[in-house]
Amino acid sequence: MKKPIIMDCDPGHDDALALLLAFASDELDVKAVTTVGGNQTSDKTLNNAMRVLSYAGITDVPVAPGASHPLIRELQIAPEVHGESGLEGPELPEPSFASFGKSAIELMEKVIMSSEEKITLVPTGPLTNIATLLLTIPESKDRIERISLMGGSAVGGNWTPAAEFNILVDPEAADLVFQSGIPITMCGLDVTHKAQIYDDEIEAIRSQGGKVSVMVAELLDFFAKFHKKLGFEGSPLHDPCAVAWLIKPELFTSKHLHVDIETKGEFTSGATVVDYRGVTGKDPNTDVVYDLERKAFIQLLMDSFKKYD
Amino acid sequence: MKIPVIIDCDPGTDDTIALTMALASDHLDVKAITTVAGNQTAEKTAVNGLKIVSFLDKQVPVARGAENPIMRPLVTAGHVHGETGMAHVVLPEPKIDYLETKAWDLFYELSVIKNEKIHLITLGPLSNVAIALMKYPKLKDGISQITMMGGAVGYGNDTPAAEYNIYADPEAAKMVFESGIPITMVGLDCTHQAWLSAAEINAMGSPTEKNGIWLAQEMMHHIHAFATRFGFEGAIMHDPSAIAAVIDPTLIQTKDYFVTVETKGEHTTGKTVVDTLRVTGREPNAQVALEINREGFVELVKELMKRYESGGFRC
Repeated sequence: MKKPIIMDCDPGHDDALALLLAFASDELDVKAVTTVGGNQTSDKTLNNAMRVLSYAGITDVPVAPGASHPLIRELQIAPEVHGESGLEGPELPEPSFASFGKSAIELMEKVIMSSEEKITLVPTGPLTNIATLLLTIPESKDRIERISLMGGSAVGGNWTPAAEFNILVDPEAADLVFQSGIPITMCGLDVTHKAQIYDDEIEAIRSQGGKVSVMVAELLDFFAKFHKKLGFEGSPLHDPCAVAWLIKPELFTSKHLHVDIETKGEFTSGATVVDYRGVTGKDPNTDVVYDLERKAFIQLLMDSFKKYD
Repeated sequence: MKIPVIIDCDPGTDDTIALTMALASDHLDVKAITTVAGNQTAEKTAVNGLKIVSFLDKQVPVARGAENPIMRPLVTAGHVHGETGMAHVVLPEPKIDYLETKAWDLFYELSVIKNEKIHLITLGPLSNVAIALMKYPKLKDGISQITMMGGAVGYGNDTPAAEYNIYADPEAAKMVFESGIPITMVGLDCTHQAWLSAAEINAMGSPTEKNGIWLAQEMMHHIHAFATRFGFEGAIMHDPSAIAAVIDPTLIQTKDYFVTVETKGEHTTGKTVVDTLRVTGREPNAQVALEINREGFVELVKELMKRYESGGFRC
């Protein structure tokens, strides 16, 4: 049976790939897509999600706009990485369907509380929507199977020396989510920096020829420019990891550890503090993903994009 | 030419090994040993410093420093180093007394006043160094370099994010990193690679009397038992790594990074925040040791221990 999920995202190049991967999967049943301010402002991330889905011919799944800013902080965005629109690169027509008439939280509540099976949440942006859900619909907690998220890092950050972007943008939301007691899979920079795609693989995707494959290759062309400037050989495919872990967990290795979120640090706010050596005595709350079989992961993506042809 | 050094420490089991190494080396001219509250209280680390110098029969002055971290209450590491700070080892009462000069005044006298550039090696919390920098802004001109055991790029040991020496006095550590003095940070990333197996510890020698080899071996065995309980491969040589890095800098591999210290975190206070991806735009202020040549390190320790083969006494 397909695992019912909600994608909560801020597209974003790698979010777009994560969406396409999730919708192509025979293992996953995407019940809803919610968007959040992060890589770009919330109006743009909503529009981007809907443009990608429209382009791929997915028009029958509700898409709802979520938080425009973090719980108690100003929004930080990442135009350096994703461009002015948040999805620079390919030409994408405007959405061919209307968004869900209500907010992301109302959509999540409807899906979660009406589902017989527990729902898995897949956040690939700041955790503002998920924290808001837990704060405002506390009974939803028992109906959530797991949260497989892209965010954080056991060692080092990318936006500051200590913090990864998604957690940095809304550390208070992340703190609520990690303290919720819901099982968490954390695909952080430890694994996503190993999930790089290289130029020849982008060409291989392009040469698959389908319109989705070509569009993905154009997204990756733009994404690669930024990462090459930083000295990366390839581009880390952050967000697809959180989806791929649900489809093929056997491709990944993880450790079950306690994670706290730093919200008060002068230089470390947004750090996911991973108790690797068990010195806090606190019970593990997170499967921290450290490694993956990169080639098999890229193959999974390629096969998934091909399905749209 | 010998490198003139002052060793600021909180003995301490691994401090003891480090001092044994430093005081045997032809490459170092140990001008003074200063002690600070850390692994144990200021009183205990001072007495231990005196006892070690006395036991090894060296003519090196010992001065006391800070009784507490500069802005916080002291957190000792008695669970690691024992009630006295020297594990199970009992050394004879010292034959010398500590100087009346305080550690920070001694730093200044031996460097700026004597017009000699001193390489400062720190093996404990950085309270003494921070006080010295506050009291003597000109001290910067007298200290050529600080090689510190402390911090980590990756995980901590006292907390998930922080290494003990920095955690114990984060404000002092931050002042030191901001001082502009060239720093070599020998943190856990490096020291966790500097371990000794039981066989390697035994191979240091078979003393028939209580000498420097005996002292170091007792501490090594103690650390071996403790570290292997926590899943490490052998006895982790934190402080000895910093001494080794000064004696033979080719043993370590470093990268230049900007490093600061978190002092306000809820879960991260005492973390050395290392800008490995260079996202802050700040100029590097530290050479961060990321690797140590373990075999070379073991050889160096062995060679230094040999100096104690003749000599020693019963106690």
